[in-house]
Amino acid sequence: MVQINEYFKIALRNLRMRSLRSWLTILGIVIGVFLIISLLSLSEGIKETISKQLRALGGEMIFIMPGDLSNPIAMFLGGAELQKEDIEAIRKTEGVDRVLTMSYKSVVARYEDEGKTVFLAGVPWEEGRDILEKFQGWSLEEGKWPIPGKREVVIGQQVAKEIFEEKVKVNKEIILKGRRFEIVGILNSLGSKTDDSFIYMDTPIYKELTGEKRDTAQYVMVKIEEGALADKVAEDIKENLQQTRKRRAGTDVADFSVITSEKMGDIAGNILSIIQFAIIIFAGIAIVVGGIGITNTMFTAVRERTREIGIMKAVGAQSSAILTIFLFEAGIIGFSGGVGGTLLGAIFAKVIEKYGQAHPVVYFSAIISPGLILFGLFFSFFVGCLSGFLPARRAAQLKPVDALRRYE
Amino acid sequence: MVNSLIKLENVWKVYKLGKVEVVALRGISLEIAPGDFVTLIGPSGSGKSTLLNMIGLLDAPTRGKVFIKGKDTATLSEDELSHLRGKTIGFVFQEFNLLPHLTALENVALPMIFQEIPEETRRERARNLLISVGLEDRISHQPAELSGGERQRVAIARAFANNPELVIADEPTGNLDSETGKKIMEILTNFHQKEGKTIAVVTHDPHIAAYSKKTVNIVDGQTSINQVKAKKALWSK
Repeated sequence: MVQINEYFKIALRNLRMRSLRSWLTILGIVIGVFLIISLLSLSEGIKETISKQLRALGGEMIFIMPGDLSNPIAMFLGGAELQKEDIEAIRKTEGVDRVLTMSYKSVVARYEDEGKTVFLAGVPWEEGRDILEKFQGWSLEEGKWPIPGKREVVIGQQVAKEIFEEKVKVNKEIILKGRRFEIVGILNSLGSKTDDSFIYMDTPIYKELTGEKRDTAQYVMVKIEEGALADKVAEDIKENLQQTRKRRAGTDVADFSVITSEKMGDIAGNILSIIQFAIIIFAGIAIVVGGIGITNTMFTAVRERTREIGIMKAVGAQSSAILTIFLFEAGIIGFSGGVGGTLLGAIFAKVIEKYGQAHPVVYFSAIISPGLILFGLFFSFFVGCLSGFLPARRAAQLKPVDALRRYE
Repeated sequence: MVNSLIKLENVWKVYKLGKVEVVALRGISLEIAPGDFVTLIGPSGSGKSTLLNMIGLLDAPTRGKVFIKGKDTATLSEDELSHLRGKTIGFVFQEFNLLPHLTALENVALPMIFQEIPEETRRERARNLLISVGLEDRISHQPAELSGGERQRVAIARAFANNPELVIADEPTGNLDSETGKKIMEILTNFHQKEGKTIAVVTHDPHIAAYSKKTVNIVDGQTSINQVKAKKALWSK
């Protein structure tokens, strides 16, 4: 085993002898590993963020939205609403503990003589605040919660920091549809840019302000009774809603969606899994291309160094020694590519994370786990060895006399 | 005759060049005893390089047998042959065959790596060998920085690295001017005389043959010990 060390040194020296070619080949691997590491750490981070949010939601919430979930754009833009009867039907369903309705509308808000369009949402503070806090993870960055019935609002992070030129401060006034409201609190981020662009107020005041007196809702949250099964309750709600609708409109087209928080997580998880799978496929292709680069450069090296191989065999090198030297060369190329790719990938992921925090769409942090780094390094070393195997074997199998034969 | 170092028994070597068969060696029998200084001499194309490959265990015969210290080489695996070759036989080639990006010292130490000799010993021995061929001030030079004669001296030092029993030199002076060639032959003769090494030199130059005690003529893939007979055979063609 003394010689392993020597073979490694010889391999290293050989690589340095053709450094430009070595670096170019390494670059091929760097690109592949870079893709894998940066994309995986980012998608892993997004996954983690989503599951964290879902965990904050708790397992026993059910969400009901008008419109078909399979067509989300139409759902949000269509302005579909759940009618008063629908909400009643939900309320009456067995296993439902509390129903929280939410309506929203875009309005023009004036703050310090600056007018901007924002979303205004009506939330039932009295019955709903604890649910929002416990299950939706709402919390205040500063200030206090509005007193129900008073003309007080809380605002999201985007409203506070991005939308208005002037930073919005607590205890200042904001004018909504010509009426004065007091900003009493600023919410911590709710996890998405959209949710953070809202101004939230008590439902009765929202109705009064917008003239929405029909008791409709664009979004309903249900907290189920303790011990009730979310899936069962969701099924029952769906059935009740369908009956109500049939009675009213005479159609049984399900233009609403009932979804449990668990299922929501599943959907998000599935989508992310598909994305991750696609990432792995594409990055894998990049790695394969890099690997072919190694094979290519190693075959060239074997051809160029045929004579050297012959000399080494003549002075007593066994096939295994030649094989080891060439495998080391390929492995070193792979490993160097892995180091570079992992480093660049991690840096890139961190830059994206920082950019994401400065210009938030979704909040997430890149997760660069030690496992991922080890994977990047070992995997690239493995790819290197694998790609170098055929050339190395060819080198090892050369007969000394053939390798030494003069090329004239 | 068990104490012969290398023994060839009716060795034939046939190369196939496409559909044409070229017979390089036609039933050569030859013996090299320990302590011999043998010269294999013959015109180019006579098969002497092929013969050298057989003696040096670099190639296997098409027919016939090659024994090294009484052991039939046909029974040895490729790796066993490599190991044996590295330990028992040193090579000096016409075109030096040094590794271009290793220093003189590293080139000389290379065969010792494959015999698992520890680094300290390797360096020590390689240095001594280089000093003994008169290259003490060229130890860390690369082949490109050395003259032809210096390169061949490095190669000779390398050939003796593993303290082999036999050193084979293939036209060792072929790429050198006669003055330098003479020096190289002196170094080889020196090793033979001082350390009792067995040496086999292949050449087409009768002057070189004059250094050795035993001359083997090769003509058309056959040996003839008698030089006159060999000449006749050559002229009769």
